[in-house]
Amino acid sequence: MGNTAILKGLKAGLPIMASYTALGLACGIVLFDAGFSVMSIFLMSLLVYAGAAQFLAGSMVVLGASVPSIILMVFFLNLRHILMAASISKHVKNKSVGFLALFGHTLSDESFGINYSNFQKDNWTVNDAIVTNFFNYSVWAVSTALGGVIGSQFIINTQIMNYALIAMFICMMVMQFVSKTYIITAVISIVLSVFFTLLLKHNIALVIATLLASMIGYYIEVNSKRTGVRSND
Amino acid sequence: MTSRSFILIIGMAAVTFLPRFLPLLFLSKKEISPSFSRWMTYIPVSVFAALVASDVFFWEGSFSLQPDENIKLLPSIIVLFIALKTKSLLWSMLTGIIAITLLSLMV
Repeated sequence: MGNTAILKGLKAGLPIMASYTALGLACGIVLFDAGFSVMSIFLMSLLVYAGAAQFLAGSMVVLGASVPSIILMVFFLNLRHILMAASISKHVKNKSVGFLALFGHTLSDESFGINYSNFQKDNWTVNDAIVTNFFNYSVWAVSTALGGVIGSQFIINTQIMNYALIAMFICMMVMQFVSKTYIITAVISIVLSVFFTLLLKHNIALVIATLLASMIGYYIEVNSKRTGVRSND
Repeated sequence: MTSRSFILIIGMAAVTFLPRFLPLLFLSKKEISPSFSRWMTYIPVSVFAALVASDVFFWEGSFSLQPDENIKLLPSIIVLFIALKTKSLLWSMLTGIIAITLLSLMV
């Protein structure tokens, strides 16, 4: 891999690196406030590398959630990556298991977005992709650790920093609005989430709401297709 | 680092890595069933909506739809609008933080 390949990957990653710096600082501050040391924040970013999941872990730890319930929620949060990895898998054929592991580990929402669109172009190779991923990954790890350092030095209103997570989830929800069915699913999930949270007073409410809403969404899709076929007859 | 946070990090690492790695490993050879993968496309939107709702509509542990008590309500409407307009995580977060900061100073 020559210097030009590294420059190409770096250039493609720049916009992501800029936003990871800001998001990473905020995430590091939230995690430090939740009781994680700067070293464990850095370790978490290296081993986990999933911004939304790390933010969520921070706020769930503050709420006193148990370790298994946090891991379960992170699992549901990360299920979307199955779809991303599945749809990008055709571009990383005939690679070693080690390469696939590295590629998978550094496959974030943003890395997927940039690589998926770049793979549609002829001159984008798997090596360019992994260089971009690696730059984004490094920036994320360093900026979350730096956020931890900032959190340890200054008193920051974490209620406000935690709201950053809500804003992030609102935006990630909106990015999923590719058709009317997904908007309806979101509304159903909101209602179910509030209902089960009030009923059960436990984080498991989110898991139930997620599963039910996604099934209802899929049910609506299947049914609207059926009626669509009928109306064409 | 406490052993609790270490266990949490390892657990999170496993449930983060496997959904990204296993499809890369297997799906180049085999396809998942179409109905299963269609259902899966509804999981992200449901997860995000559930997470947002369980936080935004609650203030100090109880359900609240009063914008002057639950100061997360108005910023969330603003963020929703910005997110629909820009689809940018950074802008959504910045707007949200500014809105809730201003509101917490006023209330």
